[in-house]
Amino acid sequence: MRGIYIVGNYPDRESFVKCFDAVISAGYEFVEIGVPFSEPVADGPVIASAVQEALGSGVKAGDVLAGLKTLSKGKAKLYVMTYANIIYNYGIKKFSDDFKDVLSGLIIPDVPNMLHSYFYDQGFEIPLIPFVTPESREEDIKKAAVMQGDFIYFIGIRGITGGSVDLSSPEISERIQQIKAFTDKKIVMGFGIKDKTDADKALKVADGFVVGTAAVKLQKNSAEYSEFVKSLL
Amino acid sequence: MKGFFGDFGGMFVPETLVPALEQLEREFNMLKDDPEFKKDLARYSTTYIGRPSPVYYASRMSEEYGVEIYLKREDLNHTGSHKINNTIAQALLTRYMGKKRIIAETGAGQHGVATATVAALFGLDCTVYMGAVDAARQKPNVDRMKLLGAKLELVHDGSKTLKDATNAAMRDWVKNVEDTHYIIGSVIGPHPFPEMVAHFQSVIGREARASFKEMGFLPDAVVACVGGGSNAIGIFKGFLDTSCELYGIEAGGLSDNEGDHAMAIGKGRAGILHGCVTYLVQTADGQVADVHSIAAGLDYPGIGPEHSYLHGTGRVTYDKVRDEDAVFAFRELARREGIVPAVESSHAIAYVLKNKDKFKGRKVLINLSGRGDKDSERDI
Repeated sequence: MRGIYIVGNYPDRESFVKCFDAVISAGYEFVEIGVPFSEPVADGPVIASAVQEALGSGVKAGDVLAGLKTLSKGKAKLYVMTYANIIYNYGIKKFSDDFKDVLSGLIIPDVPNMLHSYFYDQGFEIPLIPFVTPESREEDIKKAAVMQGDFIYFIGIRGITGGSVDLSSPEISERIQQIKAFTDKKIVMGFGIKDKTDADKALKVADGFVVGTAAVKLQKNSAEYSEFVKSLL
Repeated sequence: MKGFFGDFGGMFVPETLVPALEQLEREFNMLKDDPEFKKDLARYSTTYIGRPSPVYYASRMSEEYGVEIYLKREDLNHTGSHKINNTIAQALLTRYMGKKRIIAETGAGQHGVATATVAALFGLDCTVYMGAVDAARQKPNVDRMKLLGAKLELVHDGSKTLKDATNAAMRDWVKNVEDTHYIIGSVIGPHPFPEMVAHFQSVIGREARASFKEMGFLPDAVVACVGGGSNAIGIFKGFLDTSCELYGIEAGGLSDNEGDHAMAIGKGRAGILHGCVTYLVQTADGQVADVHSIAAGLDYPGIGPEHSYLHGTGRVTYDKVRDEDAVFAFRELARREGIVPAVESSHAIAYVLKNKDKFKGRKVLINLSGRGDKDSERDI
């Protein structure tokens, strides 16, 4: 499962759609669309700046969400990555009703696995993607292994997006083997993958990867962006 | 659900932080009733902070306004505010957990100074995050933090105030959670912080209640300013089971217009920020709105989840005071009683002065949560 994270409607709707189309035509299996939130506490400087710039230039979370239904996603799966308040503000049940036919899942970095029930108990039907991190204990991994969501999001680094990851570290491959022992779900590595070399290394240990920061850096230039996303495959 | 006050609260944080928060919850629940920990905390409270702080009858103000005004003197604490109650307790917890580094966010700088102080006291490495705008308006506290040996990280993101400092501190904690404890300074953030900070600040209410018991009566009303709300929860805890009216005063700023105030309850609605469901000042689109207060410590878009809950139950009345009224109260207390209050606490004083007819002839306890040395150099 190879995927790209894109900041929704950044720098503007037209440029965003060009980048989105580039990802789809390159053949990625999924796209993760970031819906801007003013307090992106899990994001590093590149994505946080892009989000702030988008909001500053008038991008609305509601417009990004409304636009999801018009994207030509082909065979790719669509996920939304955003913060809890965006969903809460939209209305938890209403969000689910409006987007359950569009989205394969939702990635919310400030909702830990234990609080997925907070959403499901309110009628949320879109799968929330569980996380496993270097801090996850065995009991956390066992719980994540049986949660909803068609993959486990493995965060390879301690920290925020844009950090660097040592993909050759035995700790990472051991941790992924540990997860695999408890689940048949795909394991997708996020955080810290910036080029083809990293992507290839990620695929040796995991079932997929998602590239965020390195792609967002190029999001203002759709031609360069298109070349970059092709280069990772 | 665990960590909720009715519909408010929770632990809305990156998964990376969950083990650290669960460890903190375990340690807190174990240590808060542990005789050794309590003895340690009590010793530092008396010999280092200077507790108990007295309740002072403000006779000249009382005579002028026709209200019996009593002040709980948290301004007399070491470092000049109630913040030290919580930081010293959390620093002790940090030592018990075996961590060597603490981080904090600060708005007015009082929590930053209190954290830097306990770091020096216990030999802990300390980094304090502060918005660049706040740092410019609270220079004395910036200087004190540096003097105490803390590393000060100025935050230039967003509105360059407390919420941005909080974001930066959260990012640091995610990266360094193994050896670092984040001392949150108010009754906000993910579980167990709102409950834990309230517990450590409840000493204010317990002492005030004891002082009134000695006087042979209870106050008719208790008033405290509310940003995150730690001083308010601290004093309310002593009176929740009485018939005393309780008032939490939010920063009304310049006007009711968006960007001019910091009234999370007065003008906000429920949302999720910095770890919990609570009232938030936000845009229609769910973005956290810019807020303003003349008091850096109140300049925060949210409020502690327990306050959101108490608002819902009606046990506490939440109201507002404008900047100009807080400044009037700041000067009034200085000139009539010889006490320079923090501009944050001045909001609580101002509420009583503005509503003297409502409180006429009644006994009102105001939590004087901090002293105004930091504000007296400003042009207010």
